Amino acid sequence: CCWDPLVLCMDVGFSMSNSAPGEEPPFELAKKVIQKFVQRQVFAENKDELALVLFGTDSTKNPLDRDGQYQNITVHRHLMIPDFELLEEIENQVHPESQQADWMDALVVCMDLLQTETKGKKFDRLNVALLTDLSTQANQDHLDVIIENLKQAGITLQFFLPFPAEDDEEGGGDSDRRGPGHPGTGKGLSREQKESLDLVKHVMLSLDEEDGLDQVYTFRDAIEQLCMFKRIERRPMAWPCQLTIGSCLSIRIVGYKAVTEERLKKMWVTVDAQSNQKEDVKRETVYCLDDDNETEVKKDDTIQGFRYGSDIVPFSKVDQDQMKYKHDGKCFAVLGFTKQNLVFSWGQHAGVALSALIRALDELQMVAIVRYAYDRRSNPQVGAAFPCVKQDYECLMYVQLPFMEDLRQFTFPSLENNKKLSPSDTQLSAVDSLIDSMMLVQKDDDDADQKDIFKVHHIPNPAFQRHFQCLHHRAVNPGTPLPPMEPWLKAALERPDVISERCQAPLEEIKRKFPLIEVEKKKKLKTSAQIFGKDAEEPDAKKAKGDEEEDYNLADIAEGSVTSVRIRGQLTHRIEQLLSNKNTHYYMKSITCIQAFREQSVKLGNADLYNSYLQSLKRSIPNRRLEVFWDLLVQGMLSRITAGFLSNRPFLERRLHFHIIAAVPSAEDTGDVDDLVCVCDFLAFKYLTDVP
Amino acid sequence: MAEWNAYYQNEDEDEEQEEGEQSGDYKVTGRDSLVFLVDASKEMFIKGEDGEPSNFDMTMQVVRSVYTSKIISSHRDLVALVFYGTEQSKNPRNSFKYVYVYHDLDEPGAKRVQEVDALRGEKGARLAAETMGSGETSLGDALWCCANLYSDIKLRLSHKRLMIFTCRDEPHRGDSAKDRQARTKASDLKETGVIIDLMHLMKPGGFDVAPFFRDIVSQPEDESELGLHLEPCDKLEDLQKRVRAKEQKKRAMARLNLCLGEGINVAVGIYATAVTARKPAAIRLYRETNEPVRSKTRTFHMQTGSLLLPSEIKKAQTYGKKQIVMERDEVDSIKKFQDPGLYLIGFKPMEKLKTHHHIRPAVFLYPEEGEVKGSACLFSALLMKCSERNVFALCRCVSRRNYPPRFVALVPQREEVDEGKVQFTPPGFNVIYLPYADDLRTLDPPQCPSASQIQVDKMKEIVSKLRFKYRSEAFENPVIQQHYRNLEALALDMMAPEDTEDLIMPKVDQINHRLGPLAEEFKDLVYPAGYNPESKSVAKRKTAIVGGVAEKKPKAEVPEDELRAHVQNGTLGKLTVPVLKEACKQFGVRTTGTKKQELIDF
Repeated sequence: CCWDPLVLCMDVGFSMSNSAPGEEPPFELAKKVIQKFVQRQVFAENKDELALVLFGTDSTKNPLDRDGQYQNITVHRHLMIPDFELLEEIENQVHPESQQADWMDALVVCMDLLQTETKGKKFDRLNVALLTDLSTQANQDHLDVIIENLKQAGITLQFFLPFPAEDDEEGGGDSDRRGPGHPGTGKGLSREQKESLDLVKHVMLSLDEEDGLDQVYTFRDAIEQLCMFKRIERRPMAWPCQLTIGSCLSIRIVGYKAVTEERLKKMWVTVDAQSNQKEDVKRETVYCLDDDNETEVKKDDTIQGFRYGSDIVPFSKVDQDQMKYKHDGKCFAVLGFTKQNLVFSWGQHAGVALSALIRALDELQMVAIVRYAYDRRSNPQVGAAFPCVKQDYECLMYVQLPFMEDLRQFTFPSLENNKKLSPSDTQLSAVDSLIDSMMLVQKDDDDADQKDIFKVHHIPNPAFQRHFQCLHHRAVNPGTPLPPMEPWLKAALERPDVISERCQAPLEEIKRKFPLIEVEKKKKLKTSAQIFGKDAEEPDAKKAKGDEEEDYNLADIAEGSVTSVRIRGQLTHRIEQLLSNKNTHYYMKSITCIQAFREQSVKLGNADLYNSYLQSLKRSIPNRRLEVFWDLLVQGMLSRITAGFLSNRPFLERRLHFHIIAAVPSAEDTGDVDDLVCVCDFLAFKYLTDVP
Repeated sequence: MAEWNAYYQNEDEDEEQEEGEQSGDYKVTGRDSLVFLVDASKEMFIKGEDGEPSNFDMTMQVVRSVYTSKIISSHRDLVALVFYGTEQSKNPRNSFKYVYVYHDLDEPGAKRVQEVDALRGEKGARLAAETMGSGETSLGDALWCCANLYSDIKLRLSHKRLMIFTCRDEPHRGDSAKDRQARTKASDLKETGVIIDLMHLMKPGGFDVAPFFRDIVSQPEDESELGLHLEPCDKLEDLQKRVRAKEQKKRAMARLNLCLGEGINVAVGIYATAVTARKPAAIRLYRETNEPVRSKTRTFHMQTGSLLLPSEIKKAQTYGKKQIVMERDEVDSIKKFQDPGLYLIGFKPMEKLKTHHHIRPAVFLYPEEGEVKGSACLFSALLMKCSERNVFALCRCVSRRNYPPRFVALVPQREEVDEGKVQFTPPGFNVIYLPYADDLRTLDPPQCPSASQIQVDKMKEIVSKLRFKYRSEAFENPVIQQHYRNLEALALDMMAPEDTEDLIMPKVDQINHRLGPLAEEFKDLVYPAGYNPESKSVAKRKTAIVGGVAEKKPKAEVPEDELRAHVQNGTLGKLTVPVLKEACKQFGVRTTGTKKQELIDF
């Protein structure tokens, strides 16, 4: 029921096209204002109906067109929910025209439209927004009647003009302050404009004695304010409940959700690329047994189960519902009170009893620990209710606390007690001056008030802004690439200029005082193929030298600080890369990598790395259709294991002291991969335990 | 057809990524494993004074709690329970004497929990004596046996930890050959990446780590870590804390640069210290065999029935009656703003951090010296100075690729240790996510009368009566606990699930008892006579929004002396508006307002 119908009433008469050289004509600016506004409404999926009335049009089309009255005024669109069709019409059908019309007449047409089209409907408020340069003389005959009607119908007015309504020159003519942004200001106004402006002021002040003139905007200000897409607004829902302390004391409270991570309401739907129809795409989930044939089973032949550690327990929905934790529903029950020290996300408001609680907690610096359940269906939580005493209201702020199951108790090495890491006095003072130069809160000289120059909660979520910018672009410019980010958005996310300037020197000092050296180890490894790549196809002689060097390289790395995990990461990454090419050439390269991986694992004394990788690789073979590769691998590896020990390669010899030839399987064992893995495992383990 | 799976598994990428963000790179790196190596010598079974549980009993309680917590929060971890110093031997190839592998490395399940339970208490001690007995000790053999457990595992293991629970500081009683063998085996294990911890328990005369165990356990992460200077445990709570602190591998959710300015990058790791434990998702089982089935999701064309390649689908949203279509990669690219990292915007005093500006659980920041040398020093300097000056650092944070930025407050936290020198807050920055304009809802707080000091003081008495020391680990989630008890009961064919105590239920009787007459006294001060905050009829009225004070329409005269008493006590606020209006008339005050506060102000 809560909607605000609005008529946009735009002057398209010939004077709107007049402009000083190099300046945008008022028509273009006004058009931008309504475009931006309608866009916002469309993307906010606002249900407020909107009409568009143009005046100064060559033709006349309105219900009041009689006896030569209300001429050159066109009702372009009746009250409707705004959509892209309207945006396209504004883009393509709203042009500067060659007539002039009385803006007061246009206002009457708008009022009439609102009254006839909202008859019998419920609404909060009726609105008219007039965009004009006020160049026509307005008929003032029925001014009082019009104002009276506006008041009675509860219609609010907004004016958008090319120039500001209030002359700031009263004090002493510092018109520069307004800058060049407002063409046609002040002295440049025609007699008609001056008269009309007085009329506008008269109307606005009659509607609202105090703040009426706040509703008169310039085109430029409006464009600036409308450049953001509307932030998501949700009405907070009241949640009435009882705050209980034991069973004898309860206080009626109302909760509201005050802060929550808002998400976009709409999800992307999948459509067919050709037809753009979502109906053409069907998703289907099938169930299959984990056997070699991936035998499909019907959904009806499956039941629900849960994992209990290593056990899988069949547990039907019915049983689950019957046995699950049940509670008495909605509550806000105090478990006890404790010292303050945390954070939260809910708000409450209440009367005297609650006020006493809030202020008692505030004065004692304590919080209430409460059990909170939204309703019977939702899981109860434990949380803290903090007192919040503001000048004009008092409330409790609730935040959920973690359960024992949620906590990860990590310990971290001490920083301060470590002599090697602790900063010197000069280093500390460098950080001190950095903090001084980068304070985002500035004290005004005059009063104790602090000005915060970077308020995060005033920034619209950039993800939403960008999302709508791109959607809008795609909607009106199909077939063109997405636009770059809007400059204002980019700037809003950056360090403020004043800070950037001020912190230059302290940052330089930090740079000098704190050497920061990126640990290079990762980059050196290039790709494993470059290091280990011994292409079977290439003549050995040609590569011999390179191999030698690279072997050293690997050995150094492996012996140095690089952990085995990292080596594995690099190698497996490369192997996976190679395997994405289904081609014997790449298969052979992968096998070389796997071989190198095995050697490294053996050397690092950690067969697990290699074995577990190989097992997971094996499991993925059928899915990835890599059977050919696997056969090659099994054959290749076995022969290499044999060959490796016998060929007496210097690398192995020098680094590994590896002489367990006895464990090498015979060539007949090919085929069974688990055997292969076991053998490697055995080799590795023997090595570990036998070397003194 | 199997390969279609690979294409579409990321369909719900948003959710998955968020999950991933919470749980770290667990899936990528393999399984964690933990071996409990527990001394089963006679000394372990000696009960403490006043019937305190024996060291063995205490250890079994801890093992059990680790088993159940693993089942709930990380069921993929492997856990083993091995006893040494036993009379009987039981191990894979039975090659080691006096070593009893009670559980080999595997995911813990219901049966294992039950088996550990069986070793608890008086009965447990008897069972242990019957099945294992106490015999000679060779820690070397025990460690060797554990090494075999690790190597018998065919899964990829990432984190390997072994905890020795004992109260004997010289297990071989000076047999230097056995000592030497144990050291060799310990160093073999450590070379394969196993971290060995000592959970030393109290014994008469104190536990001296120096002669033997110093060479057995792994070096602590840094020299200053208190590790071995710890006193032996004599309390279950302490032991539990010590084990819990080590039992989980800390994993960074992300490693990022904290950029202060051009070329000043401090390497940091982000850690989740609280991850909401949820009831796990159900799995589908084949009705005939109870074996789990795999689900595959395919996307195909409605008309032709052919499977759709990723290149054959696009993404769309509809606004203002218009369908807007984008390529899949465009949808991703829209989310990209900057490369991952933290970028310093500036500093603000702590009081600017609005406590209710809180949108998701905080995470924790710690330097990564291994990525950028010098990080720890600059990080430490920032931490000290921010803490000293009571400021926080405001940063822009992109936590992973193609994630839009959020702003975060880095709130300094200095290290704190308890009396037992166990760290209870680690040094580093808490990362608080800050809300954008869209995340705040405009509230219109109703005007409410404030309580008088007398009323506040009464409430203060109530608050102090109900004071307790909050410990976050004190509250178990009753929903999750009940779920797992149910599963446990089903898995073990128990008649009924074990009772769960709902720890977040208020202890009403205790509270009432502690409050005594205070509750009535407070109600007398704040509520009008006969007011019942719980009555339904009141709740239905529209004034519910204001809460607290019921407003009764007619009948509104209060004797003058009673009124005066209210004025003196500052309890006028508990009177209703009509009463107050009447009172104003009585005292000859002209009123126009209907708001209570206005009336009281007269």
